Amino acid sequence: MSATAEQTASVAELALAELPDAAKAEIAEIRKRYPTAQAALLPALHIAQRNFDGWLAEPVIAAVAAELGLPVSTVYGVVTFYDLYHLKPVGRHRIRVCNNLSCQLRGAEEILDAMRAELGVGEDEVTDDGRCSYVHFECLGSCDTAPMMMIDDDYHENLTPESAREIVRGLK
Amino acid sequence: MPKVTINDRTVEVEPGTNLVEAAAKVGVQVPHYCYHPRLSVVGQCRMCMVEVEMNGRKMPKLQAGCSTPVADGMVVRTDTPEVHEAQKGMMEFLLINHPLDCPICDQAGECGLQDYSFKHGVAYSRFEFEDKRTYPGRERIPLGANVLLNMNRCIQCTRCVRFTQEIAGTSEIGFFNRGSHAEIGVFPGRELSNPLATCVVDVCPVGALTSTRFRFAERVFNLDKKPSICAGCDAGCNITIEHRRGKIRRYKPRTNPEVNDYWMCDDGRASWEKYRDRPRLTSPRVKDRATTWKEALDAVYQRVRSRSAEGATAILGSGQLTTEEAYLFAQLADQIGTPHRSVAVDPFPERRIPNLHGGVFGREAAPNRRGAEMAGLAARPGAFTADEFLNGDAASRCATLVVTDGDFGAAAWDDAAVARLRQASCLIVFSWADSPLAQAADIALPIATHAEKDGSFVNSQRRVQRFRAAFPAPGQVRGGVEVLSDLLARFDPAWAGLSPAAVFDRFAGQTPGLAGLTFGSLPPTGAALADTQAAGAEG
Amino acid sequence: MAFEKTLTQNVGNPDALTVAGYKKNGGYTALEAALKMEPDAITQAVKDSGLRGRGGAGFPAGMKWSFIPKIDKPKYLVCNADESEPGTFKDRLLMEYDPHQLIEGCAICCRAVGANTTYIYIRGEYTKAARILEDAIREAYQAGILGDSVMGSGWKLDMYVHMGAGAYICGEETGMLESLEGKRGQPRVKPPFPAVVGAFGCPTVINNVETLCNVPHILNRGAAWFKGIGTDERNTGPKLYAVSGHVERPGTYELPLGITFDELLEVCGGMYKGGTLKAFIPGGASAPILKASESHLKMDFDTLAKAGSMLGSAAVIVMDETTCMVRAASRLAKFFAHESCGQCTPCREGTNWMEIILHRIEAGHGHPNDADLLYSVSKNVGGNSLCALGDAAIGPVRSLVEKFRDEIEQHIREHACPVPVRRYFAAAA
Repeated sequence: MSATAEQTASVAELALAELPDAAKAEIAEIRKRYPTAQAALLPALHIAQRNFDGWLAEPVIAAVAAELGLPVSTVYGVVTFYDLYHLKPVGRHRIRVCNNLSCQLRGAEEILDAMRAELGVGEDEVTDDGRCSYVHFECLGSCDTAPMMMIDDDYHENLTPESAREIVRGLK
Repeated sequence: MPKVTINDRTVEVEPGTNLVEAAAKVGVQVPHYCYHPRLSVVGQCRMCMVEVEMNGRKMPKLQAGCSTPVADGMVVRTDTPEVHEAQKGMMEFLLINHPLDCPICDQAGECGLQDYSFKHGVAYSRFEFEDKRTYPGRERIPLGANVLLNMNRCIQCTRCVRFTQEIAGTSEIGFFNRGSHAEIGVFPGRELSNPLATCVVDVCPVGALTSTRFRFAERVFNLDKKPSICAGCDAGCNITIEHRRGKIRRYKPRTNPEVNDYWMCDDGRASWEKYRDRPRLTSPRVKDRATTWKEALDAVYQRVRSRSAEGATAILGSGQLTTEEAYLFAQLADQIGTPHRSVAVDPFPERRIPNLHGGVFGREAAPNRRGAEMAGLAARPGAFTADEFLNGDAASRCATLVVTDGDFGAAAWDDAAVARLRQASCLIVFSWADSPLAQAADIALPIATHAEKDGSFVNSQRRVQRFRAAFPAPGQVRGGVEVLSDLLARFDPAWAGLSPAAVFDRFAGQTPGLAGLTFGSLPPTGAALADTQAAGAEG
Repeated sequence: MAFEKTLTQNVGNPDALTVAGYKKNGGYTALEAALKMEPDAITQAVKDSGLRGRGGAGFPAGMKWSFIPKIDKPKYLVCNADESEPGTFKDRLLMEYDPHQLIEGCAICCRAVGANTTYIYIRGEYTKAARILEDAIREAYQAGILGDSVMGSGWKLDMYVHMGAGAYICGEETGMLESLEGKRGQPRVKPPFPAVVGAFGCPTVINNVETLCNVPHILNRGAAWFKGIGTDERNTGPKLYAVSGHVERPGTYELPLGITFDELLEVCGGMYKGGTLKAFIPGGASAPILKASESHLKMDFDTLAKAGSMLGSAAVIVMDETTCMVRAASRLAKFFAHESCGQCTPCREGTNWMEIILHRIEAGHGHPNDADLLYSVSKNVGGNSLCALGDAAIGPVRSLVEKFRDEIEQHIREHACPVPVRRYFAAAA
């Protein structure tokens, strides 16, 4: 469903972030894979998030909406629906510790405790130096190597509290 | 056409009809929240669950009626214990997190939760030991100038979301978050600002979305509800005037698929407020002195029938007049023998009220310029036009200027324009409002508002629509037809005692396209006129 | 138990990540053959094999393909790689170690139903698998296996990886389609069904990764071979069982469909640290929990369904005697409440209510009627929701009340959890 002149005009009233040219080019390329502009939205939001410190501020969301010609409320509805889009600042490294049933049956809570002890902040909070933030997460599809966690794009499996702390200590 | 049997009553329906609509056709009400005949079907609220049997086999699960199209031979039941259990279950789910706001909620009395709770729910709660889910800080969020959101009351039916997407086309309202924290709202920094904004309050089944202008104004069960037509512009939206003992509290749209469908604009909703806010002319007045109707009308009669050498006699009409009033003003002009008649109407920012036929447009700030011109007040070649009165010196060349409506437009409240009209030697003003124009008049006659009289308007579709008085005019105020009948009777007693219906019948008798119609027999959706019309009237 | 592997034959063989390496093991011969067959014959072979969907619903794959109408509209295959059912990790294995097997399976399916575009909808967290798939797809284009003329046949096929963004509900067919189209992953009302109105309003097949990976082998070895594996003609073929929890060797095991749980447990090296089996979930979080006394059951679609549970995604979660069943069910209830899309009343409100009741019981604040209340609420959620998530969410709750009611009552009576929290690791130094 494409935007009317009214919708795109009102986006113009909002503050828009400036998407880097490379990001716009990437979005344009991906746009070709689909019959509609809206189908490029999830990939476009991933690209935007990567370009803006791992989270989506409102001007960034508005910029993506303008780029694809979509109503900004529709895009906001999509952003707030999915767990991988962040609406507030995150650490440079985003840690997701699975504590769904299979991981819980092999000590996931102890890994979360280790995160709390190592980083000194609670869940969903960013360390003072901006380096890390961590959350518990739903099943990440690695139940045979429980307990495990995901940091940025990588899985870290067969953890112990010690190995988890070691990995986190090594993050820049 | 497929046939379906609902609670043992069989009916044939158009292909594609869903079970909620089909049931309504046989008088069976299937409860529903998210379904709306003009919005996409989402099947979310799960209130409309019914039992469906196809080819002799009962479907193992109940089906949502709104998203189940009729198949030939379907057998449906809405009265089984399983259906009742489902309804009770859904009502329970909707109420566990719903605040007990009824005592302070505007929706009370017309609330979907109250109504279905009573009919389909239970009178106790099992949600005893938990805290209700709330949306802290979102209990009274303005979504725009006219709509207020209380997110705690929302039942996530998404009618408002679909309305702004599909009907208004502006998509201000979105559905955010997931699961039990799902909420409706606008993108931070945006407003609900389309011309139809308050329609989301109409479609909202509960008190989550309420009208700012109606907030805490009246309990709906104290309101008298009378059908009428909006007089805000020439779209002619059908409305209900909701009032308490003659004090209007709000307008709501009344369904007419030929005109405004289910909708009306925010300006129209506010168009009654001037009746409340502007000063009211309450008694006949001759040169600053309140007087009786007899004295005032005698004075008018004496003035208009005297052919004065000072200048012309002119009648300045208004788009606010009913067709019947305009008809009698035209008769007055004929009796006087003057060609000077015209209809003044202000322009209006264009709005389109959606319907299934491309919508109805409003472009003029009054409901009935067309009716007034068709009834005989259209300007004639060589005679004074409305523009010459408002922007020129035509009034200075008039011995008598009759202004049919003291609220005909912005000019009636503008000192410079009033001064121009005042240049007539004698200024006679018929008015509901005691406007500066009425105050400047030599003779001022108090007339009923459109809420206080019967009449008809011809809208931008050239459709004649009838309305009746919602409540009587106060005190000495009288309807325009009554007053003019009284005045014309002084010329010829045959004019005495006319009602708006009788005047309409005469008007219909001489108007192509209305042949055979009477005021009483006008169809409820109005009567569309043929395209070829009397002089002056155009689309 | 020696069972000749087909689906996982290339696991541990990094060569197979390339087109040349994959071909060495017989890869892409099935596609070559399919290009010479009548499309309907391909569908018939899949029907004859008895292959049932491996994503959770177990719907016969060949029948699903045959629903695609022969109309003049673009058609799509959407491969369901969303794999978010707790306990499931088998599709990830297939994609990371044998991407070409999936590509070949998708291509054969497209040939059968007349589709020219495949979107592999992969969950956003599977960044590694997505990268491997994209590399393999790129190479397949270069090798002429994808693109304007597949293997020189003149038939066009495009294949793209589409990443999700973290929502279990996008594993539901129509939720996936909505997400593919760039919207909130909210399931649609059915009818219309995806076979008629699917992606972008066009006929669409949606199949799980493992389902599609079986297709090249069915063509290579024949439907009869496939039917020869399994319990009976309604439960055929090899199956990947993803085992986790309290077993010595958690992992993905390719075995004939319908082995018993006892047999599976043995393959996994028995109970973790010699514990005693208390309960197991046979098919992912949605599958009602089974007691130790049911460990003799064959793990196939029909046997488990008859036993009041389901094979689902064959994600087997094993629990020993140190497990508090209330805590386990509570965690799953929290999962479903978190993943509910929020559209429909019973799931949105019901999963939330079930979560908070279980949480209250677990924390020791249970009330005497809670077990009955929980059961009653679950009865109003199941059967009334817009999609199957509502039905799935009640699985753990109902089996908890039906089979482990005594644990609930004990929590309520003692105002505390009677099972000590198990420590898996030594206290930190």
